[in-house]
Amino acid sequence: MISSKKMFVLTEAVLAVLVVMTAIAMLRGKSGEKHSKISVIIQDSDDNQWAAFKYGLRMAAQDQNVEMFVVSTGEMLSAEEEYEAVEYEIENGADAVILQPVPGEDMEELLNRIEKKVPVTLVEQPASEDYTVSKIPAVHPDNYAMGKALAEELLRDYSGKIKGKTVGIVSRQGGSIAVLEREKGLCSILEDNGAEVSWTVSGFSTEEEEYILEIKAKADFVIALDDDSLVLAGKTASANNLHGALVYGIGNSMEAVYCLDTGFVRCLVVPDDFTMGYRSLTETAESLGHIFRRPQSRTVSFTVMRRDTLFLKENQEILFTMSQ
Amino acid sequence: MKNKKLVQRYLEYVKRLKPRGMQSTIMLVFSSISITIMLLLGVVVYFRVSAASRQESIVSTQKLMEQTGENMEDYLVNMRQISDAVYYNVIKENDFSDQENDIQRGMKLIYEANTDSLRSIAIYNNYGSLMGAEPVVLQKEDPNVTRQGWYEQAVAETENMHFSTPHIQNLFDDAFCYYWVISLSRVVELTDKGVPQSGVLLVDMDYSNISRMMKQINVQNNGQYYYLCDGSGEIIYHTRQMQINNGIFSENSKMAATYKDGIYDEFFEGEHRKVIVNTISYTGWKLVGVIPYSVFTHGMFDIRYFIVLLMLLMAMMLGVVSRVVSVRISSPILKLNESVLEYEAGEQPEIYIGGSMEIRHLGDSIQRSYEQIDTLMHKIVLEQTERRKSELDALQSQINPHFLYNALDSIIWMIEGERNDEAVFMISQLAKLFRISLSKGRTVIPVRDELQHAESYMNIQKIRYRNSFSFIQDVEPAVCSCCTVKLVLQPILENAINYGVGGMDEDDGGEIKVTGREKDGNLILSVTDNGIGMSKEEVRFLLTDSGRARKHGSGVGLVNVNNRIQLLFGKEYGITVESEPDEGTTVSICIPAVPYTEENRKKLEAGHPFGGEKLPGDEISGGKI
Repeated sequence: MISSKKMFVLTEAVLAVLVVMTAIAMLRGKSGEKHSKISVIIQDSDDNQWAAFKYGLRMAAQDQNVEMFVVSTGEMLSAEEEYEAVEYEIENGADAVILQPVPGEDMEELLNRIEKKVPVTLVEQPASEDYTVSKIPAVHPDNYAMGKALAEELLRDYSGKIKGKTVGIVSRQGGSIAVLEREKGLCSILEDNGAEVSWTVSGFSTEEEEYILEIKAKADFVIALDDDSLVLAGKTASANNLHGALVYGIGNSMEAVYCLDTGFVRCLVVPDDFTMGYRSLTETAESLGHIFRRPQSRTVSFTVMRRDTLFLKENQEILFTMSQ
Repeated sequence: MKNKKLVQRYLEYVKRLKPRGMQSTIMLVFSSISITIMLLLGVVVYFRVSAASRQESIVSTQKLMEQTGENMEDYLVNMRQISDAVYYNVIKENDFSDQENDIQRGMKLIYEANTDSLRSIAIYNNYGSLMGAEPVVLQKEDPNVTRQGWYEQAVAETENMHFSTPHIQNLFDDAFCYYWVISLSRVVELTDKGVPQSGVLLVDMDYSNISRMMKQINVQNNGQYYYLCDGSGEIIYHTRQMQINNGIFSENSKMAATYKDGIYDEFFEGEHRKVIVNTISYTGWKLVGVIPYSVFTHGMFDIRYFIVLLMLLMAMMLGVVSRVVSVRISSPILKLNESVLEYEAGEQPEIYIGGSMEIRHLGDSIQRSYEQIDTLMHKIVLEQTERRKSELDALQSQINPHFLYNALDSIIWMIEGERNDEAVFMISQLAKLFRISLSKGRTVIPVRDELQHAESYMNIQKIRYRNSFSFIQDVEPAVCSCCTVKLVLQPILENAINYGVGGMDEDDGGEIKVTGREKDGNLILSVTDNGIGMSKEEVRFLLTDSGRARKHGSGVGLVNVNNRIQLLFGKEYGITVESEPDEGTTVSICIPAVPYTEENRKKLEAGHPFGGEKLPGDEISGGKI
C-alpha cells in the first residue's frame, strides 16, 4: 500500500518535472535561440575593397545562422589599437573574432593573448611570415603566388623580354606580411629575368597620395601590391603623371576594376575576397559549436583580369561580389 | 528454437511481474489502457496536424509564388510596353537623320516615366553603332556591341523580344559605376536618311527590381527559399548565388527548368524537398519555390512540444483519476483484508463491514466465522482447564495414600513398642499434617503452611527413625508469605530420608536442611541432605525416567512434585537435583514468588499458570515479590 502510494507520488513528480521541462523548451523555442556573435576587425572597414569580403561574411553569417558585426575602423590601425578593439568587442559579447592582422612586432603575441579568450581567425595574411608554423588559423590568398602571377603577366606581355626594364613598386602598407609576400613573389620572377626595381614606395599618407608617384623617377612599369596603391597608380596614370609607366597590380575594388576597364591599368590580379569572407566566418562559426574543432587555415584563389576578359561571365561574378 | 526459448523466458518474466496488490493491478491496467489510447490519439493528432500544416505551407507558398509571378509579369509586361512604345511611337515615327531631337525627346519622356525600373534605353544600328540612348552618357571606347549576348540574341531571332540573364552593363562610361541589368532586346526597323534599315533596340532593366521582388519573398530564414531561373536553368536570382558560383552550394535549376507548373517531390544533394514551379509568361523564366522536408519538421517543433505537453498533463491527470478510482474500488476490500490480517496477528479488531453489498456480505460472513471460532476457542480453553484440574486432583490423590501408609506404619510400630507418648505426639503431628494437607480443599497454600507441614512430617519421621538425623529450617521470613503448591516438600523430605540419611546411625550426624530464598523474582525451596548421594547418571534420569530411579517406595514422589509445580506455574518452573556420591543431595524447587492472597490463590487454582502461556485478562495481581 505504502509502496504503491510512493510509486504514485514518484510517477506524478516525474511527470510534473517533464511538464516543466517541456514548457521551458517551448518557451525557449519561442523566444528564439541565442545566436553566436562574431566580430570582424579589418583596416579601413568602410573602404570599397572590402565589399566582396563583407558580402562573403554576410552570406556565411546567413548560412551559419550567426550574428556578424564588422567593426568600423580607420585607415591605419596600430597593433595596440587593434588589440583594444578586439578587447572591446569581447567585452561586448563577441564569441569569436575575425581580424586582419596589422604589421607590428608584437602582433603575434597579442594574437596569442586574444586566442586564449575567444577563437580567432585571421584574414588577408597569416600571423607570421612562416605561416606553416603559425598556430592561429588564417584564411588568405596565396600572396606569394599573386605577386608571382603579376610578374608572369608582365613577362607574357613582353614575351619574356624585360631585361633592363625598370620597375617601381608601390604599396600602402609596406610592412604587412601580405605585401612582403607579394613583393617576394614578384621580385623572384623579375630578378630572374633581368628587370630592375628602381624604386619602392610604401607607407605613404593620404596627403602624400597626390604627388608620391609623380615625383618618382621614370619607370617602365609601376606595380601596385595592394588595392589602395593600385587605384592611386591608376588615377596618377589617368592624369598622365606616371611618366608613361604601365600599371600592373593587385586590387579588389570597383575603382581598381574601373582603372582596368579604362585602360589605365594593364593587368589586375583579384584575390577571391568573397571566399575569404565566407570561409573565414564559416570556419569560425563551426568551431564555436564544437569544443574540439578549431578553425582551419585555408588558402583562397585569385583571378587574373585583363581589359578584354573583364566582362567574361566568370569575371562578372567576381564583379558582382565587389558591387554588393 | 532460440526464439521459442526467448518467448518462453519472456512469458516467465511477465508471470513473475504479477502485481502484488489489487489497487496496483487496477491502477496499472487503467493507466496502461488510458495511456495507450492517449498515445495513439497523440500520434494520430500529430500526423493530422502535421499533414494539414504541410498542406497549408505548400498552399501558402503557391499563393505567394503566384502573387510574385504576377508582379514579375506585370513588371516584364511594362518593360515590353516600354520597348513597344519606343519602337512604335519613337523609332517608327521618326528618321534618325533629321529628327534626332524628336527621337531623343521621345526616349527621354519614356525613360523619365519609368526611371525607377529602367537603367537605360539604347538604339543600335546593324553595325553596332549607337544611334540614340537615354540617359545620355558617354559611350565606352569600344564596347563591341555586336558581340554582346543581348545583341546576338536579338539578331538570331528577329521576330521576338529577348530577355537576357543578369549581367553588367558594358556600354557606357559612368565613372566607377557598373550596373547589373537584365536586357530586353529586339530587332527594330529604323529609318536613316529615308532608308529603312534594321537595328537593335535595347531596354536595360535595373536588376535590383527583380532582386527586390525576390528578396521580399525570401525573408524566411527556416530553409525555405525561392529562386528564379530562365528556360535553360540559368539562374537569374538565387539567395545563394555566389555560393553556387563558387561551388559551395548547388541548385537543381537545370531540372527545375524542365518542370511544368506544379508541385514536385525532389531528392537533391541528400535532401528530400518539395519544389513548386511557376512559369513567368512570355520570358519562359521559372519562379521556383523550394521547401526542404526539414522545414516541415522544423515548423512542427511547437506543435510537437504542445502535443507532448498535452500528453504529459493528460498522463498526470489520468494517473490521479486511476488512483482515485482504484482506491475507491479497492479500499473496502483492503480494509477488510487489514482487519483480517490484524485478527490473524492475534488482535481482536472489529471486522470491517462496508463498501459495496458484496463486500459487506463478505465482511459479515468473516465476522460471524471469527465469532464462532472465538466461542469454540473459549470452550476448548475451559475444557483444557478442567482437564488440568482433574489431573492435579488425581496426582494429589496419588500422594495421600502413599504418605498415609508410611505414617500409619510408623504409629503401628510405636504402639506395638508401647511408646504411647511418642505415638500421641506422632498422631498430633499427623493431625497437623492432615489439616494442612486438606487445607480446606485448596491446592495452593502459603509457604508458611508448607513449612509447618514439612516440620510435622519430619517430626513424625524423626520418631520413626529414632532421631538418627537432624532437621534444620533456614527460611527467609519474606518467603513464608508466598504461594506454593501444597505438599511439595514432604515427598522430597521423604526421599532425603529414604535414600539419604535414613540408613545412617545417630553418630553419623545425618542432617536434612530446608532453606527458602527469593532470587530474581523466583522462590527457591531447597532440601539438602548429607546422605549417600547419587551418581550423575542417576540424577539425570531422576525426573525424566521415573522407572530407573525407583529403588524404594512407590517412586512417584519427585516426579509428582515436579508435574504438579509445572501444571500450576508453567514449564519453566520445577525441580532441580544436584548430588555427589558420598557427599549428599540437594533438591531445589523453583516457583515464582507470588504473594499469597486469596485472589492469587484462586487464579492459580483456576489453572492459569503464572509464567509461560497465559489466558488474556488473567494477570496475577501484586506481581512478584
